[in-house]
Parts: sequence; C-alpha cells; structure tokens
Amino acid sequence: MPDKNFFLSPKASKARLREAEQARKNRQEIIKARSQGQISRRDLIKMGIFTSAGLMLPISGLSPFARSAYADSNIPTGLPPSPLFTATAFSQPMPRFDVFPRNPVSVLNPAPTAQANTTQQPVDPALGGGMGPIEGRPPGPIWAHQQFTQLPPVIAIQASMEGAKINNVYNPGVPSNQNSGINAANPFHPTFHPNLPDQTALKLWTYNGTIPPKLMQVRYGEPVLFRLSNKLPVQQNQNGGFGIHTISTHEHNGHHGAENDGFTGAYFFPNQFYDYHYPIVLAGRNSINTDATDINASSPTDAGGLTKVPGDWHETMSTHWFHDHMFSFTSQNVYKGMAGMFNIYSGKDRGAEDIIDGVNLRLPSGRASVSGKSWGNLDYDVNLMLADKAWDGNGQLAMDIFEFDGFLGDRMTVNLAYKPYMEVERRKYRFRILNGAVSRFFKIALSDSSPMIQIANDGNLLPHPVVLTKLDEQGIAERYDIVIDFSRYSINQKVWMVNLAEHQDGKRVDKDLSVSEALSGNSDDPCVGKFLEFRIVRDPAQPDISQVPDPLIPNPDLSAIPVARERTFEFNDGANQTTHDPITSFFGPWGIKTNDQGDTLAADFGRISAAPRFGTREIWTLKNGGGGWDHPIHIHFEECQTLARNGSASAVPAWEKGRKDVWRLRPDGEVKITLQFRDFGGMFMEHCHNTVHEDNAMLLRWEIDDLGTPFLQPLPTPIPKPQGVTFMPPDDILPSAF
Amino acid sequence: MNTQLKIKMRRLLFSPSFVTLSVGIVVVLAMLAGVRSSVQAQTTAAAPPSTAPAIVDSSLTISAKGTVNDPNGTITVSGSVIVNCRRVLDTSTNTTTPASPVVLLDLDFSKLSGTSGSTKTTLKTYVTGDNHASELRPLQASDTIIVTSPYYDSTKDVLSARTMLVTATLNFDTTTGKLTSGSISIGNNVVTAAAVGTITTVN
Repeated sequence: MPDKNFFLSPKASKARLREAEQARKNRQEIIKARSQGQISRRDLIKMGIFTSAGLMLPISGLSPFARSAYADSNIPTGLPPSPLFTATAFSQPMPRFDVFPRNPVSVLNPAPTAQANTTQQPVDPALGGGMGPIEGRPPGPIWAHQQFTQLPPVIAIQASMEGAKINNVYNPGVPSNQNSGINAANPFHPTFHPNLPDQTALKLWTYNGTIPPKLMQVRYGEPVLFRLSNKLPVQQNQNGGFGIHTISTHEHNGHHGAENDGFTGAYFFPNQFYDYHYPIVLAGRNSINTDATDINASSPTDAGGLTKVPGDWHETMSTHWFHDHMFSFTSQNVYKGMAGMFNIYSGKDRGAEDIIDGVNLRLPSGRASVSGKSWGNLDYDVNLMLADKAWDGNGQLAMDIFEFDGFLGDRMTVNLAYKPYMEVERRKYRFRILNGAVSRFFKIALSDSSPMIQIANDGNLLPHPVVLTKLDEQGIAERYDIVIDFSRYSINQKVWMVNLAEHQDGKRVDKDLSVSEALSGNSDDPCVGKFLEFRIVRDPAQPDISQVPDPLIPNPDLSAIPVARERTFEFNDGANQTTHDPITSFFGPWGIKTNDQGDTLAADFGRISAAPRFGTREIWTLKNGGGGWDHPIHIHFEECQTLARNGSASAVPAWEKGRKDVWRLRPDGEVKITLQFRDFGGMFMEHCHNTVHEDNAMLLRWEIDDLGTPFLQPLPTPIPKPQGVTFMPPDDILPSAF
Repeated sequence: MNTQLKIKMRRLLFSPSFVTLSVGIVVVLAMLAGVRSSVQAQTTAAAPPSTAPAIVDSSLTISAKGTVNDPNGTITVSGSVIVNCRRVLDTSTNTTTPASPVVLLDLDFSKLSGTSGSTKTTLKTYVTGDNHASELRPLQASDTIIVTSPYYDSTKDVLSARTMLVTATLNFDTTTGKLTSGSISIGNNVVTAAAVGTITTVN
C-alpha cells in the first residue's frame, strides 16, 4: 500500500514544491466554487473529480495523494509546507484568551424575548431582498426560550461574527506579568505571529472579528443572554475561498434548551442576530435538590459567599467551549476562527484559591484577596486552545475541504499563536486544554516527562485526580484540565509541552510516539514535538496555597434510575443517502447506522433517529465500524457516564471515570455510556467531532419531544431563510426512534 | 419550497459563471490527464478485503523490576505490568487507502510498587496510582516502547509524584496479531538538555 504523508518536507525539491503548490491552487478554485454555491458535489462526481462515494479521485494536479511526476514511486504528492516568513518557534508570547465583557441584560436593545423577535427589516438584495426578521431564531413557541420566565437572563454578553480586524479592546483578565509581558493596551493584530502577515477580513472570521480567541466566564444561578450578531459579508462568494456566512453557535456542552444549543439547522444570516439563552443550571434541577438546600449545589457571590441553587451538585460543570455548528460547514467555519472557551464557576470550582468555606475545592486560579475578584480568577487558571493550521504562499489561512478523511494543518498554534512561549511562576497552574483542531488528535506530555495531574475530562471535574506522565490521546473537542506544578523547576529553566500523536492523514493517529521519539525531530508529521514553551521566570509573590484535593466531584448515582431502553449507533463509512432534501440532507462518505437496522445513513437534520422519553435514562452503545479510523463522538445536552469500553467496565481508564460528552471510539472500538433526558427538550445532535467527518455526513438528530406528556410529537424541522424561518415535517423518522 | 430550491439550483447550474467554471475544470483535468495518465494508473489500487479477523485481543502479565535514584534514596521497584493488546485491521473497502495494521496497547502499572530505606523508620513504599499507558503502535514483530510512569510515596498525595522510565520490549506474531512475549525494565528518567533548557534570550 502506498505510503503517504500530508505535508511535504521543506527540504523537498523546488520542482516538487511548485507542483504541490499548483495542485493546491487548482483545488482551491474548486473549493471556492463549492463553498460559494456555484457547484455541488454531484456536479463534481459527474465531472469525474469525485467517486460516487464522495471521495476525491487521486488525480495528479489535484489530489495531494496522487503520485508526483518528480518523485520516485514511493513518495506521494503532499501539500507544500506553510511558509514561516521570518517567524520562528517560541519567539512570541502566548496570549491569554480575550474575556468577553459582562453587562446587565438591560443594555440589550431590543430587549430579549422568549419567542424569536420577528420585527421586520429590509433584506439585502444579495440575500434575496424583501423583508425579513431581525432575529434568525426560528419563530413561535417551539423555539421559544424554555423556562425563560423562571430563569430570566441576568447577564448580557454581546458579540458579532465578522472578518479579521485589529483588536483595540483586548481584555486578558490578568495583568501583563501574568500574560507573558503582553501589553493588552497595544493593538492586537490578527496574525498567527508578528512576523507573519495579518490575516485578511475574508480569511479569518472570529467572534468580534479579533483575536485572541474569546472567553465567556459564567457562574451557576446567573442566566446569560448571549446575543450574537452576524456581520459577515452578505455575498456568499466573499468568503476567502472557504467557510460560509450562515452560522449557528453551539455552547459545548451546555445543559440548555435545544433552541440555545446551536442546532445545525437553526442557522442565521448576515444582518440578523440570534439570542442564545444560557440558564446555567445544574442538571436535575427539577427533580433533585429542588428546594436548593444543599450547600454543595451553589454558586459564588460577589461578596465571597455562596448562593444555593437547585439541582444535583454531582453534575457541576467547569470547562466548556463554543463554536460554530453550521450544517455541513462546521469544519470550515471553526477552522476559520469561530471558536472560543466557556468557563463555568460554582461553589466547588469558584476560581479563587484562598476562599476557605468547606465547599471550594481551591484549585489553582488566583487569590480573591489580591485581585478583589471573589470568583473567576485567571492568574493561574489558563485556557489553552490547540489547533493545527495551514496557510498559503501569502501567509493567509488555507484549508482543503476535499480531504474527507480529515484535514490536517502543518503549523501548531496555541490560542491562535504559532508555537508561543508562556512565562510561569514556580507554583501550580491549572490548564484547561481544548483540542480545537479540525481532525487532528493530540497526545500531550512535558518534555521531561514530569507528572501532570488530570483533574477534569471534558466539562467535568473527575471523581479523583489522576497522576500521569503523558495524557491519553485527546480527540477533537475533548477538554482535559490538568495541573502542572512548576515549583520543581528553577528560575530561568524552560520546559515544553510536546505532542506525541503522529498523523499521516486525518483518519486517526498513525502512531503514539515516546517523548524521546517526538523530540528527535525524525517524525514526518510537522505537528509532532514541542509546541508550547514554559519559561520559569520567578517565584510567586505569595505562597502557593492552591490545592488538588481528593475527591473532586463524585459521579451522580444513577443506580436507582431504571434504564428505559438501549440504543446502538455505529459510525461508519460507505453511507447511503435515503433522503434528498437540498436544505436538510447532505451526502458524504461517512454516516451512522442506528440500532443495527437498515443502512448507514448520511446526515439529514430533517430525520429523527432517536427520540428518548423526557425524564428517563438510557444506555447507548457507540461503535466504530472500522479499524482504519477513529471517531471522537459528541453527544449534545446531557453529560454521560462511561460504563464500558469494548464490553469491559475495567477497560475504562481512571481519567474517563467521570462524566463526559466526547468519546474517542478508538479503531474498531466500542463505548457504552448512560445518560438522562431532563430539564429541557427539543432537537439535539450526535456526531463525529472530526468535523470533516461530521460535515460529510456523520451527524444525526435526536430529540426529546414529549415534554413529560404521554404524547410523542415529532418536532417540525426549521428551514432558515433571510426572509424568515419556515418549518416542514421531519422528512424521515427511523422506525426505532421512539 | 423544495421545488423553488430545485429551480434555483438549476438556474445556478446553467448560470454563465458555473458553465465557465465547469468548462475550465474540465479543460484543466483533460490537460492533467494527458500529461499524467501513467502516473494515475499507479495510484488507484486498493487492498483486497482481508480474510483475517479485524480484531485480535491478547494479554500478557510481564514481570518488571529495576531501581530508581530518588532524592529519598534508591528505590527498588518490582511487580508486574499487565499489557493488554488489540490488533486492528482496516477492512474497509470504501476508503481510498487502507490504513496499516496497528496494535492498541494498554500498560497497567498498578501492580508495580517500590521501596526505599531498610529500617523501620526509613522504610518508604511507593505506588503508581491509576496510571496506565495507552499506546497506538504499528504492528511489527518487535517494538521497544519507552514510556514513563509516575510514582509517589504511598503516604502522600499525587502532587509529590516523580517519574520513572519504563522500557517495554514487546514481541508480536505479525500473522495472528497476538502479543507473544515481552520484557520490561525500570530505570531513571534521564532528563536531557533537549527536555529542560535554560532561558538565554528575553523576547
């Protein structure tokens, strides 16, 4: 079988690099036409560029995997390396996230409404003209904010989605000496490195159009209204060659009503806004601790105390992220910059290590007595968003959407900075690590293999901290919170975070390397090795009083809740397309088979594949249909407990024994999980978070649609248009869904 | 609504820009095909479906011992490591290029422990916690995997952990995909200059 590698070595011959660059340009023309709606996948099949399974044929001059005219028979065509201009590794400071301002909800104009605001406005002729609603949320009672009266928004966070521009209002939430010396008052350019060109407004689309990536800080019991305005170009062809201007933001993995979940089919258009209502409640609030008497179920007050909240404190969550979820364009839009992080604070995890109240776990964060902030201190609580990127000969972000196995970049970024350094003190830090890549898995160690303490997996603190010298593979969208104690180092020493997961393509990791292998520089994968440098620069001004207690947050006890039913989902290639609605369905090589019945189906957000009953618990088995790939599978809405891997409870590692929302199935692997369906209803999703797989078309819709009544009522599917969202009945309901 | 969209799509397909683009793509393809047809022929072969089982599980318990130089003195480590192995094949006929066979390894260090000191007052015992090493490696007859494991004083918490080196040489039957034998040694985690450096420049 042919060996292949995604990116050419910079040492490849000039002719070889020219050929690869030409192939990339040829593909870019097609990608551009496809992303701008001028051409469909079916057209490409007719032209002989794609197979009927949706795979790109290895045509020389187009495919990166076709053999080169300049190479011997064992060397495949690759992509040209992204030029670094004069940028070098570890020569720029790592920016901390840019914290969104929090304002009273009264600043919102117009005021938020339970049902979508359908006030009419003129629609740009490029979007069809006429009149349309100012809010893109589907109208009417089904998409009204659930429990809006009981949980009225208190905090407003406003943002816009727009093209790249200079950031003149960067708020890292920490002083400069905790941000590697970055002066936040200076203009922050939209670039991956000061020695690389600024990204143009069509290439990079982010929240507020700026970098660093954004951070929302929220706390339990304080509902948030996130108003996102779409300020992207109205012309679909003004996209820099990839990405789409219709958007939908998923708060991953919020326990909110489906109308706020960023449903893939609830997207909205330029010049519209969408009000996302995040109640920030503990799961089980309607059945457990309903009178809010348990102090462990609590939220930090500004005065340093606690406010009790209803719900199960064992469901406390900590580290989320938010990202675009546009149907069949998630990979492009997220890659283009539509991703941020979301820290949730609670009595247990309050982000103030010096408050001793018997509830606070006092994890590394910072001192309230120093900052004056009784919660949410970020000094020693650091968000890291890892993502591999690629750029073209002009230094502009580039993507190849025809790599249906998955797209890999060749340049590692942390918080959208190319291989930065971070200055740290000799003490403990918490890192909230997000895999924000499109298709790449990471496996992280410190360059000296020093121990790290994993305290959380996905959004949830573990029952017990786990000490590791290298983390498990981290799939796309998985979050690992770890604690590193830098007191073991001397001032002026430096140590690196290292990626050990070597890829040859986007299907899965090809090999987990040892630290010495990764540091050797012998890997063909340019994203293996050191990617973040820690510089130990000083002792802390105050003694480190933070803790990593054991236990952290025990799992909810589900033993008394009967299992209503079991379902099976198999994630596979070779999908069939059985529905053909041009808006709701999409065809690609990937798909999902449900309950071992019928075909492996390509995505259709008009199809209901599962409809669990409100208030019940189920067991779901997630199967990987093949050994050639891995799939990080994400289930929206409820956190789940992992019961078994490959049929064995003992095969669930210690760091997966808490709650999770993304599971790497592993090649030919199987995961059994259990989850409940409560508090809210509506249509949610389940999909592969290799977003290239998701977009092509490994995604399904499930819904909670009885709202506690004995009546099962399939929900109508929204069909967004600039002139207003319409609805149509589900175009398919699997026989085993109910 | 669907009908309207179909009409829109048809209009798009027959729009001048689309037709121009299509013609352009076809011309480019024709040119490329003419130049590189012999190259294309080499690239489309897919592996035939394998008759071997896609999954083969095997497991070994391997004795391990060694010493680690620790600030508390020399620690003698002994015990066993359970190595669970799953050989996986890519049997899909839909993908363009089958992936190579791999083994998924889980090395369970929980049965390893260490001691230092010899008298009642100096004797300390060390444990590894819940650490497992989870590794994905290409299937080959013999593979030397250098992993590390934390260890810490059993009377203290995980924050006191240090690192020891575990070198596992594992042998596989590449025909059956089974793990057949192996040896494991324990030693010091040697930290090189490439692993911990010194700040020489201030940016």
